[in-house]
Amino acid sequence: MPEHVLVLISAPDGKLRDADGEALGAARALAESRAAAVAAVLIGSGMDEAASEAAERGADLVLVADSPELAAVNGERVVPIAADAIARAEARVVLAPRGPDLLELVPRIAARTGGASAVGVTAIRREGDDVSVEAAVFGGAARAVYRFHALGPRVLGLAPAVADAPEREAGRTAETVELALPDVQPRVEVVQAADAGEGPRLEDAQYVVSGGRGLQDGENYGLIAELAEKIGGMPGASRAIVDDGWATADQQVGLTGKIVVPDVYFAIGISGASQHMAGCSNARCLVAINNDPEAPIFKYAHYGIVDDALDVLPELIRLTGKQSG
Amino acid sequence: MHIVVCAKQVLDPDGVNAYAFWGRLEVGESGRAFSVGDVVQQIINAYDEQALEAALRLRDAGLECQITVVTVGAEEAGTILRRCVAMGADDAIHVLDPDHGAADGFRTARILAGLIRELDGVELVLCGRQGSDFDQGTVPAVLAEQLEAALVTMAAGVEAEDGSMLVTRATPNGAETVRAQLPAVVSVSNELGLARYPSSRRMMQARRQPPAQRQASEFVQDSGPLAVELVELSVPDVQGQCEIVDGASAAEKAAKLIATLRESGLLGAPSA
Repeated sequence: MPEHVLVLISAPDGKLRDADGEALGAARALAESRAAAVAAVLIGSGMDEAASEAAERGADLVLVADSPELAAVNGERVVPIAADAIARAEARVVLAPRGPDLLELVPRIAARTGGASAVGVTAIRREGDDVSVEAAVFGGAARAVYRFHALGPRVLGLAPAVADAPEREAGRTAETVELALPDVQPRVEVVQAADAGEGPRLEDAQYVVSGGRGLQDGENYGLIAELAEKIGGMPGASRAIVDDGWATADQQVGLTGKIVVPDVYFAIGISGASQHMAGCSNARCLVAINNDPEAPIFKYAHYGIVDDALDVLPELIRLTGKQSG
Repeated sequence: MHIVVCAKQVLDPDGVNAYAFWGRLEVGESGRAFSVGDVVQQIINAYDEQALEAALRLRDAGLECQITVVTVGAEEAGTILRRCVAMGADDAIHVLDPDHGAADGFRTARILAGLIRELDGVELVLCGRQGSDFDQGTVPAVLAEQLEAALVTMAAGVEAEDGSMLVTRATPNGAETVRAQLPAVVSVSNELGLARYPSSRRMMQARRQPPAQRQASEFVQDSGPLAVELVELSVPDVQGQCEIVDGASAAEKAAKLIATLRESGLLGAPSA
């Protein structure tokens, strides 16, 4: 079997996410530079649809681990399945799309297979037979280039928007292999699952309106929520105002909060620290409203208003969406 | 129960970010460190401090335990251990690794695993979720593999049970509770909350209790990175392409902005 660039897809509910498509796109580009093929390992429950989609998005080899036992992500099951897939696909490079379990899976798969890993990878460069990668450090204040020394595979967790998802090519098929379930007794069991999974998520929002200390007072966060509702988006927040108790931790956008990829991101009264930008710099359009024309946020923004957030916000609310009274 | 807390010394990320914020962050001659002089301090990684806080809360909740803090790094990295002892750790071990690859979590995990295997009856290892310098989060997962221990990441709260730990995890979908068998490696996230502040009296006392010292060469044969090598750092040059929306008043600017977003199809037309 030829070398494959392997994409690790953890899809407990059997559905591919945007990030999985992006990883398939990145794998295709990398495979072409290495004269390799693209493989995808799909781990979850009810994977038929996902397996066809992976093939239609460019996978030449699809390895499937499909079982009700995999309907929740458990590292102790995922890691040996991934190791099996790496061996079968003769993978030297494994790409893992961004996701909540990245830190549990990526370094662990590398350790299990005698390889090396990096997460938050924004670029992959060819280095002869090997690769070097670029990733953000200090919450996005700077970038690092890493190269690897281990004998095993390079397991790379991708940053958002590293590549575009390949268009679906209807009817494209791939060699499909079913993987056996590992015989493990997991030492970690879920006692109570997270329950907020049904509601809309900041990560999926088309519009995100975020506020920062420029709101001057916690009560004014209501204006952020109101604008978000008017345009059919969700409210976000800087770490500073979450620390101040003006917004809740699940609204925090940034390195230690949510990474969002909306069509439009409104940064209102936010100065633009790199920790925050790590969470929103992949928005299609970034709008900044800040009364300090020197604020770094304007270096990242596509459109900017230099004015007091509290004067602009009521106008935006008045101008958008339906008049709810 | 013997609990080990792994801590790392890092360049204060708030200081580095302040330099970046004002556009003054520069990489030094080596290409692998920032030239920020002594202005930005070396501090304990805040997530690791919260991992120690989690251990101390277990003790506060009535768990009989010995808490050992360990760090791997150059001579000066030992200073963070004094703070940990002042916060309430029982003892501290510093593995000297002068040319350690700060960016190579695989090396660090290998050294830590070697040390932890030697210590008496360690059942729980607590780490921060990631170093706030390289943000890689490698150590907890690799350490769990090396120790053949259960792994739980992103803990917001930890409780001891008989033979297991009950851990509340911060996930994108809200809090999740898991039970992990011992031995376990648990990585702690910022959702745990602020770490306690050591009193100045305890800081004075901690000065008289220097950490035990070991050598990295006792646990790994080679010097330098084992798996991941930092080649170079660079500071991205963010090119502003911002179109400033001008106007005589806030109302005018807001109107122009909304019109621009609608014209470019980024924002839908008003629905009523």
